[in-house]
Formats: sequence, structure tokens, C-alpha cells
Amino acid sequence: MKMEYNSEKYLYVHSFESMAALDGEGIRYGVFLTGCPLRCVYCHNPDTWAFPGTPYTPKSLADKISRYKPYFGDKGGVTFSGGEPLLSAAGINATAIHLREYGIQYALDTSGCIPLSDDVKTVVRGADMIICDLKMWNDEAYIKYTGTDMSLVLGFLGFAAKSGVRLWIRTVIVPGINDSEDIMDKYLTIVLQFHPEKYELLGFHTMGFYKYDNLGITNPLAGAKPLDNDTLHRLQSYCNAKL
Amino acid sequence: MGNEWRDFAEGVWQTEINVSNFIKKNYKEYGGDSSFLEGPTDRTKRVNGIVNGLLVKENEKGGVLDVDTKRVSSLLSYGPGYVSDEDIIKGLQTEKPLCRAVNPFAGFRNAEQACKAYGYEMSEKVREHFDYRTTHNDGVFRAYTDTMKKARHVGLLTGLPDAYGRGRIVGDYRRIALYGMNFLIDEKKKDKAALGELDMSEENIHLIEDVAKQLEFMGQLIQMANEYGCDITRPASNAYEAVQWLYFGYLGAVKEQNGAANSIGRITAFLDIYIERDFAEGTLTETGAQELIDDLVIKLRLVRHLRTPEYNDLFAGDPTWVTCSEAGMTTEGKSMVTKTSYRMLQTLYNLGSSAEPNITILWSQNLPKPYKEFCAKVSIDTDSIQYENDDVMRRMYGDDYCIACCVSAMQVGKQMQFFGARCNLAKVLLMSLNGGKDEIYGEQIAPEGKVYDEGTPLNYDEVIKSFKSYASWMARLYVNTMNVIHYMHDKYAYERLMMSLHDTNVKRLMAFGISGLSVLTDSLSAIKYAKVTPIKDDRGIIVDYKTEGDFPKYGNDDDRVDDIARDVTEYFYNELCKTPAYRNAKHTLSILTITSNVMYGRKTGATPDGRAAGEPFAPGANPMHGRDCEGALASLNSVAKLSYACCQDGISNTFSVTPETLGADMDDRVNKLVTMLDGYFVQDAHHLNVNVLNREKLVAAMEDPALYPSLTIRVSGYAVNFNKLTREKQEEVINRTFHCKM
Repeated sequence: MKMEYNSEKYLYVHSFESMAALDGEGIRYGVFLTGCPLRCVYCHNPDTWAFPGTPYTPKSLADKISRYKPYFGDKGGVTFSGGEPLLSAAGINATAIHLREYGIQYALDTSGCIPLSDDVKTVVRGADMIICDLKMWNDEAYIKYTGTDMSLVLGFLGFAAKSGVRLWIRTVIVPGINDSEDIMDKYLTIVLQFHPEKYELLGFHTMGFYKYDNLGITNPLAGAKPLDNDTLHRLQSYCNAKL
Repeated sequence: MGNEWRDFAEGVWQTEINVSNFIKKNYKEYGGDSSFLEGPTDRTKRVNGIVNGLLVKENEKGGVLDVDTKRVSSLLSYGPGYVSDEDIIKGLQTEKPLCRAVNPFAGFRNAEQACKAYGYEMSEKVREHFDYRTTHNDGVFRAYTDTMKKARHVGLLTGLPDAYGRGRIVGDYRRIALYGMNFLIDEKKKDKAALGELDMSEENIHLIEDVAKQLEFMGQLIQMANEYGCDITRPASNAYEAVQWLYFGYLGAVKEQNGAANSIGRITAFLDIYIERDFAEGTLTETGAQELIDDLVIKLRLVRHLRTPEYNDLFAGDPTWVTCSEAGMTTEGKSMVTKTSYRMLQTLYNLGSSAEPNITILWSQNLPKPYKEFCAKVSIDTDSIQYENDDVMRRMYGDDYCIACCVSAMQVGKQMQFFGARCNLAKVLLMSLNGGKDEIYGEQIAPEGKVYDEGTPLNYDEVIKSFKSYASWMARLYVNTMNVIHYMHDKYAYERLMMSLHDTNVKRLMAFGISGLSVLTDSLSAIKYAKVTPIKDDRGIIVDYKTEGDFPKYGNDDDRVDDIARDVTEYFYNELCKTPAYRNAKHTLSILTITSNVMYGRKTGATPDGRAAGEPFAPGANPMHGRDCEGALASLNSVAKLSYACCQDGISNTFSVTPETLGADMDDRVNKLVTMLDGYFVQDAHHLNVNVLNREKLVAAMEDPALYPSLTIRVSGYAVNFNKLTREKQEEVINRTFHCKM
């Protein structure tokens, strides 16, 4: 069956994770949308890069999410991730109308590397939380490891910080790329400008490596080791002390 | 009554046997947190140390430390036994801890084989005794039809209690403490006299004989307690006596019976009343109260029965299901959590984690928050407790029910159960496609019907029609087989002591079971939504299937397939109800496999869902491992759709999640687990086993058991020590879905 791609009518879903406990507060229902403007060398979801996934209308997506309302309590809700969920900003806004009727809040897990269109601004203002990746610490590293410079993410973070929505900033620590205190200082200079509620470091892991093989694409970090927990904890404590 | 009832609030419990009324009039609700709890005393540590030493020796000897082959187990066969001279709560099944008794009443050959399996020989004396005696097993096989034997042989019906005690009967052991044996004996005599006034129908004579047997054993229990220096003819006069009297009742029951599950009931709110009274009188401290519960639990952990290797294949890890039901709400909406519910959980810290007693939390949305959080913490730390939905069960069983075994609810002392193992419905589907022939043995088991063609894709409407017709045949055979078993069990191995602690006019439940639900459901879904073509062997039997295309799979919160699971369950239950059950029992149904899902799988050919011949089933109502690909909550939602109304004997679900998925730190994990349990149970789901651990830890424990000697995990309605499982079962547990974040 050939499906016509129609981003006006549908959101394209790569997969669901009904207990994505860590992507935000409380129990989170994870919706992974397809499509991403970046090509990070350490991406663990390369299978979400390309459109399309399974099409859902905003209503059918909200209905599906609503089945998990009993688990959300006060803090939980849905988290739109990807891929880059903000490529589907219009669809999320349409879904959010239904989610509000169900009394379900949403969080966004984004790279922030997206122009600030009206749809993007609306989706940010409607979120109960933004989790934004700060992938690298300067333009040079951004271009080298993600394929784009950092102007878009800085603009996005500026808007998010001003909009008053709760903001977490996250960085994946990859051995040999950004796993040192010196580089953390550079990240912190940027992070501090936006007053996030939390700056969280995640350890690079290799659990997504099999996806590169399945997709038949070259894994730029093939053979790399996951970050050890001690380094992660050390760097996180280092950052916490300066925030 | 004398001084024993001093300061208790009055109620109808004083004039009739009504423990529930006593509890509700007297218990003290506790809404606080766990900070009052005390650690183990030095004495507890010493006694527990002795027990742990014996457990190591038991393990080293292949699972059985010792067998007393000279005597037949009963209340008075053995003299008193002690763990040490420091025991507070006294009484062992035999004269030495972990020495197993021989109990051949349910089946002589079975007991003999069990002895042999561990290098023991039953004594001549015992042998002679049973030469002239009919056992339950003898009786059953006299009455079994050829078809019943065949259904049993090929594994359509499995785990039937026809060679061992049926179990799942819970005496109301609290009655002994509250009323003393003299009062209970007087009441039974009155009941017997009243029955004597009725017409002597067969059932009435049967019941009168039952009561006569009960009275005989009530006398023996008094004598047994007497040998430990205790006079249980009178009520317990303080907390120590309440625990001790209650335990004597339980001990007598497990000396008499070797049923698979001998649960202890719902005891902590009851015991808490005595503890609170002692506190008020200044005769007990918190340390002393905890020590009493710790010592009771030490005794409960020592309960053993002698089993054959075939039995262990069904129920792995030597379980005894000393299920202890905690918390819940009253029908008036008051929490039944007391400090002693906390003390029971605290034993897992004071004595170390353990599979027994099988602590079962009767979960309600309205339980006090601190208690819910403590339960969640205990789950995360020990993987030793399970949860069942009080809000659902209370509607049907009131507020003084308990769980027997894994998930079977029954009103304490007012209802009993005829345990019925389970029927392999996945196999019934295969049989229906083969026109009534077994797919492995090739024998004609059920009436001849249409054999589906090789090479022609199966048509769903046609398949479901023939499946239903065979399921209906199966249901009748199943009920009739159970009727034979329980008639004979009543006749040759009646539970005299346990039934003496029930109302004389007891209500009976006959508990049937389904295994293979997820395999059956996915198979039907494959036939409906994909293309399934049968493949035959040279006998003309369908032994495999070619399945092309994708199909919805149970466990992903997809109504298209979840509705199939719900519908077949309801259909089978309704079919069971069409055949009357022995002694007017009410039919109930469970979806529970214990650990026998491995064995059922071994006895079942390839299935249309793509499962290979011999591959294990998922346990209980769980989705098949690896097929629930939308994560933990989707899997829970699918199971929550099964209807408790037609599965009133329980719907078992076992859930494993990694600590990291649950949350970043203990507080976060506790909060999320509580929210998750609330979210699952508010949808009227019934049961959840919770394991919070990593697969890597299990793999490490499998390779080197010494690394984690007391690693306890929840399997299907109970907990086991991981090291007591066979390699095959360990691998099956490791292959189950672990919900983890990518």
C-alpha cells in the first residue's frame, strides 16, 4: 500500500514507548515522530531520520495517548520525541487541542535546531515542559558532529526561556568528543544564559548500533564504547556545582 | 469467656463465630509511615542464622535436607520440634527443621517416588499401612474414563491434583486465637446436632460425616499444642499467644495435608489488635512486637513438603504458597492497614528477602499513601511481593477474604476451593484444526471433526467455529474430570483440620484454569489478519503453519487482538458453567500458569502465531515475550482488559522492569511504581507481580549462583529463589520481556 505523505493531515509516527520513564517527569508516554534535520554521529535512533512512519490523524493520536491517562498522575503525560518532533509542530498543535480535552499535558524532547515558525512558537507555549538537547559547545563542533551550526538552537533556547515554559537542557556525553571538565565549562557558559530548571547529562550508549546495520548505513562511531557511569556521575556533579 | 477478651469492643463476634466483626470493631487503622519499625533483635539474628545455615545445607544436598521415612505425617506423628532453645513461636512439621514428612494420603506411589528421588526408602511400616488403604489417587483412577486419561496424558489437562493434596484451602486460623478450641468444638457439635434434624439425603449424611471427622482432628490439635506446653482450649490472652495459637492451627494443617498451596490467610489486622492491647497494658514494646512477627515468619519459611521431580517440573522452586494477604479496605471504606502490615513487610529486611511467605498486597486506590510507598520500596529492594486489586475483589468477596496460592480469592472460613489446575487452550485450537486428534501423539482424543487442508489458508470464521465446538467439548470433560477428583479427595483425603476452621455450611468454589491464552490469542489473530497455511506430516497431522504477513499481537493495547483474548476467555467460562460442579460448587476461572508455562509449551506443537513446537508459553495472562513492543503500559493495558467477572479465580500478570527505566533514584522509582500500580488497577486489572531488576543480574546469577544466594524473583503468582529453578526455567525467565528504556 503506497501512502501519500501529507503533513497537513497526519503526524508520522516511528514508534511508541508506553513507559518512557525518563523523558520528563512522572510516567511519560513516548511518541517518536519521524524525520530529523540533523545527522548526529552518535544518534541512537537513525531509523527515525527519514519520513514517513505510520500516519495518525491528530484525533486518533490523542485517542491513543488518552488510554494511558490513568498512569499519568499529577506529573506524567505524553512526550513528543523523535526524530525531531518540531518538524511536526503543526500536527502536535492540532493534537494538543484534543489532549487538552482529555486533560493530558505534553512535553517536547527536541534538538531545538529548527526555525522559529508560528507553529513552533505555539507548540512551545502549549507545552508543560521543554527538554532541549544542547548537542555541542560551539559552531565548529556542531557542524562537525551534527551537520549544522548552533544558531538555530540558540534562537530556540532564547525563545523557550522567555516563554516561561519549564526548561531542561540535556547533553549526551560521548567518550573522546565531549567527556572533559574543560568542555563542560564551555557548555555551562551557554546553559547558564537560559536558566534551565535542570541541566542533565546522558551517557552515550551503543544499544542503537544494531539499527545502523539493519538500515545498511555506515555507523560513524562503529566500535566506540559506551560512556562509563563513573565519568558520567563525575561530570554531572561538576556541572551541578556550577549551576 | 474469661479474662482473654478484656478491653475488646463488644459485638456479635462474642456470640457467634465472626472474626471479621471482631476485627472491624477493634482494629486500629494506621496512616503513618514506616519510621516506627525496628530491626531484628540479637535473638532473631541468631535463630535466623541457624535457619540460613540449614538452607545452605538443604541446597547443597540437592534441595532436600532430610526425610522422616518411618512415620506418616499427621498432627501427632512426631514429638515437638524446635529450631533452637530460643524459639518464641514454637512448632515444626517434624521433629527437626527442614526434615520432610512422608504424606501418602493423596497418592502412595507419588510419595514413594519422592522418597526415592532423593535417595530415601519408605519404611516397611508405612508401606504396610497403605497396603490396606485406598488413597485419593487410587480412587480417582478407579473412576477416570479413558477419555479423561487421554486428555491428561497428551497434556490437554495438566497439573491435576489427582496424586497430591489439592491445597488452596485456607483454615481460619484466627478463630483458634480468638475463641479457643473448646468454644469452636461446642459450635461444631451444635452444627452436627442441627444437621441431624434434617432429612438424611446423601449430601446431608456426607456433611455430618465431614463434621465428625473435623471434631476428631480438633481434639488432636489440642493435644499437639499441649505437647508444646500450650493450652489452646481457651482463647489467646496476649499477642504472643495469639500468634502462637494461630500458628498451631496452620502447623496442624500442614502436618495433615501436603496440598500444593497452604496459605495462611489474612492475619495482620487481627494480630495487631492483640499487639495494641499489649502496648496499652505496657507488656510489649515495638521491638518485642516485631520479634514476634519475625519469629512467626521464620517458622513459615521452614514449611516443606516432599515432592517428586515431576511435581517440581510444574511448580518450580519448591514453593509452599504460605500466602499472607495484607491491607485492603473495609466495605465501609476504611483502610485496613495496621502497623502489623508494616511489620510483616519489615521481615523482608530483618530476615532477608525470601520467597515465603508469599506476601500479597490487597491494593486499593484509597490505601494510605505512605503504605503504598513503603510497599513500592519493598518491591524495588526485594522483588518479593505481589499486588492484587482489592477494589475489584472486595465487590465480590467483601472485606474478609484472603488469597490462597497466587491469585485465588476466598472468604476466610466461609468459602473453600476445589483446585482445578488448568486446561491448555492453545492445544485445544491445534486439536480442533486436526479434527480432534492430538498434534503430537496423533491419537484421536475428541470426537472426529473436519481436518483442515494442507496448502489452503485457514479461514477465520470457520476456524473459530470449530475451535468453539471443541472448547465446549473440552469444558464438559474438564468439569467432569474435576468432579471425579474432588469426590475422591473428599472421600480419601478430606482436610479435617482445615475444614474444622470453616463454617459447617461452607460455600464451595470450583476453580478452573486456562493456560496458553496469549499463544491462542495471537494464533487466532494471525489467522484473522495474516495468511496462515497448515503444513502436514506423513501421518496427515497438521504439525506446522506457514504464517505470512503481519498481525496485531496481544500486549500492545490493540483492541483488534485484545478483544479476541477477552472473548475466548468469556466463552470458555460460560461453557464450563454448563456442566454442574460437584457439591454444587460455583465455577470460577483463572488465567495463571505458575511456572508450568514451560512444561505446557513443551507438550504443545507449533502454533499459527509463529511459536515453534515445544517453545515455552508466556506465564499466566502475560503477552508472549518480545511481542509487546509498545512498552510496559501498553502491555499492562492489554491484560487489564480481561474480565475479572468471568475470571474470579484470578488473572496473573508478571512484570519486570529495570530500575533505570523506573526512575533515576529511589524516591523517583517509588513514586512511579505507585502511580503505575494505581493506573493499572484503576482499570479493574486484577494482579501484578513486580520485579525491578536487570537481566544482566539474572544472567550472572545463572552462571554463578553463589553471587546472589538469596536472589528472589516473582514468577507467576509467587516468588522463588532464582537458584532453585532449573536451567531451562532460568533461561525462560531471562527471555521474558524486561521493560527498559532505549
